[in-house]
Amino acid sequence: MALSMRFAALLAVGIVPIVVLTTLSDGAISPTWTTLAWLGLVIAAAAIDLAAAASPRRLIVERELPDRVRLGEPVQARLLITNPGRRTARTLVRDGWQPSAGASPARGLLTVPAGERRALTLTLTPFRRGERRSEHVTVRSFGPLGLAARQASIGAPGAIRVLPPFHSRRHLPSRLARLRELDGRTSVMIRGQGSEFDSLRDYVRGDDVRSIDWRATARRHDPTTGIGQRLVVRTWRPERDRRIVIVIDSGRTSAARIANEARIDTAFESSLLLAALAQRAGDRIDTLIYDRRVRGRVQGTTGSDLLSRMVTVMAPVEPELIEMDWSAVPGLVASVTNRRSLIVLMTSIDSPGASRALLGMLPQLTRRHRVLVCSVTDPAVVAASRSRGDREEVFRAAAAERSMLDTARVAAAIRQLGGDVVTGPPPELPPALADRYLALKAAGLL
Amino acid sequence: MTVITSTVRTTARRWLYWGVFGAAALVIGLITLFASGANRPLGVPLDPDSAGPAGARALVQVLREQGVAVSITETLESTREAIGTDAATVVLHDRAGILGETSLNLDGLGEHLVLIEPGYDALEQLAPDVAAAGSVSGELEADCTVGAVERAGTVTGDGLGYRYHGDDAAVDVCLDSGDDVASLIRLERGGQTVSVLGAGAALSNERITEAGNAALALGLLGEHAQLVWYVPGVGDLPGEDAASLTPTWVTPVLVLLILVTVAAGVAQGRRLGPLVVENLPVVVRATETMEGRARLYQRSSARQRALDALRVGTVQRLASRLRLPRTAGVQEFVDLAAATANRPAASVRELLVDAVPRSDSELVELSDRLLELEREIARATAP
Repeated sequence: MALSMRFAALLAVGIVPIVVLTTLSDGAISPTWTTLAWLGLVIAAAAIDLAAAASPRRLIVERELPDRVRLGEPVQARLLITNPGRRTARTLVRDGWQPSAGASPARGLLTVPAGERRALTLTLTPFRRGERRSEHVTVRSFGPLGLAARQASIGAPGAIRVLPPFHSRRHLPSRLARLRELDGRTSVMIRGQGSEFDSLRDYVRGDDVRSIDWRATARRHDPTTGIGQRLVVRTWRPERDRRIVIVIDSGRTSAARIANEARIDTAFESSLLLAALAQRAGDRIDTLIYDRRVRGRVQGTTGSDLLSRMVTVMAPVEPELIEMDWSAVPGLVASVTNRRSLIVLMTSIDSPGASRALLGMLPQLTRRHRVLVCSVTDPAVVAASRSRGDREEVFRAAAAERSMLDTARVAAAIRQLGGDVVTGPPPELPPALADRYLALKAAGLL
Repeated sequence: MTVITSTVRTTARRWLYWGVFGAAALVIGLITLFASGANRPLGVPLDPDSAGPAGARALVQVLREQGVAVSITETLESTREAIGTDAATVVLHDRAGILGETSLNLDGLGEHLVLIEPGYDALEQLAPDVAAAGSVSGELEADCTVGAVERAGTVTGDGLGYRYHGDDAAVDVCLDSGDDVASLIRLERGGQTVSVLGAGAALSNERITEAGNAALALGLLGEHAQLVWYVPGVGDLPGEDAASLTPTWVTPVLVLLILVTVAAGVAQGRRLGPLVVENLPVVVRATETMEGRARLYQRSSARQRALDALRVGTVQRLASRLRLPRTAGVQEFVDLAAATANRPAASVRELLVDAVPRSDSELVELSDRLLELEREIARATAP
């Protein structure tokens, strides 16, 4: 049961009869009795109203909900309320979405005539990745006078999966253009872009003379004319069908926020851009999200399905407050592929102490694969190292220099062990990783 | 489709146990309270209607049983009406200090007027020769020929004391507590007996059974067949009081407004459904480590260590800018940097290697000079 503000307002209106009757009758009508009578009247009206209200328990609630939405994008959700009873239901409805689902309006007025169905449209603008839920819908059903209401919460579970935003997809067109240049699909054809033999074709003016295949030219000697030697050049293309394994660290350090973005989110952005690019380039991508157990795995998916599988797997993963177990990573990679691959490790390289496990494991990977360690740097640290106004700032700058030095030492150690390092602040890391991938591909180092 | 909210019936059933339990606890508590008598209020001092320890209901009841017609009045007018024509004892107890604010004519109230703990105003009008003399405590012995006092023997004297300044030998000054301070003074005035009683505590419900208090009270007040207990009240005040000026509807309207507030609170306070739970992510700021290290440096004044960190940063940036290999020696580096910045090698070496900061201001200055060197070399090597 619930009262409405109209009930309180009606009660307040009682001041008028109390004052007027007492004044007009010059005290003959007792104001106390007038008050009691008004009180009784209002309570009786509320009781009748309550009895006449439609039962909220009988209402049938259904949802029309898209199952996925990209983080930050609004999505329409509909709540269908059917009234099988014989009274019109005048309801105030609240859908019990979690706060981070960003449901608006939070509550809505809805009148459902007897035997009919009405829809309440909500706009969900989730501001957190993962699975956002609503377990129940609360209905407050007012009587015809709107004084009192019956209230019930109806269990109607609904969930929407909020996918990583993939902001870095704006870098994709320019990188794809670069890839097409490598691929030879544009008119520019330069020897050295790629290392895999593609085809032979006739020489045209402008081709690099070094790419002329003399042996093939000799074979193509046209005996009928005997003149007009047709030169043949070799064309090259980047290797295809290489394997890329992305290992995302979802351990303790990935929870750290840099420029208001958790490390793991930057790792997801970078992985998605790399996957989108590599998939167009014809490579196979496998993704693992791991700390001490596998939190997510996308394996053996190709084509357009890959990105949607990846975002779906990534959506519910949150950083765990446990240490990353690097010693299990080589085994994990071996379980994915035995071929020589590009292994991309999305982690953080902050200090030699914390990275000892990573450095200890690295030789096992670099022996068979090409390893790329990808880490977010903090722009705040760089800024702190440059601002040296007073004593406090100088000490901060010293600490910042110290941590940059630590990072540089770990990066140097990784390079010594045969790996490669890509670092950058959160908005720049995904394109930096994509560029490194393109460079490796162009050099035929995959 | 399941309804989460339980029905009224199941809710009632769930709370029944606790309801019964709570009610039982309340009942037991109330019984204990009444049995121990802890609930009795102290009562208004010497209120003839109050059964509390400070009231005087016991005395009034006993007087009534003894056949004395007791009437209790709150205005002078009704007192005079109650006295009528018969011989009467009038008790005047001005506990609210009303007499000081009015000019009532109290002359000729009954045959015997008993003033209980009178103040200055009452004394001035009714017993001008008696003056207040502070408070009195302890038991007092009978020391005069007034019948009631003689019969009482000893009396609880707690209350006020009075002195008689006149020279009338017929005046009885009783219950002396030393220094001429008496608790009962009895005098004749205009054909009326006036008793000034300071020992008010002796009349209270709590103390009346002690010593000879009962004998004194009954003797003093039970002299005549009629007793009028006059407590001056607001009715004696001149002019109209606040109550008669306010319209009668004010109180009901106030009550109604309180109810409106409660109703509005209930209407707004009813939650629309249960709370929704959400697990929040851990927020770890990445710079925590750096900030912590900076505070450590600062607290321990690790100037040398801080400066070394700054120097290493500068040297690394300069080395890449000057295209020196990582294996280059210190002197080689210093010489090249000094040549590029067009500075003496000794000063660059001092800045990069030798200088020891002895105070925080020196540290700040050295860090500024490092930045300046970086800028100079950047300018010199800029394409």
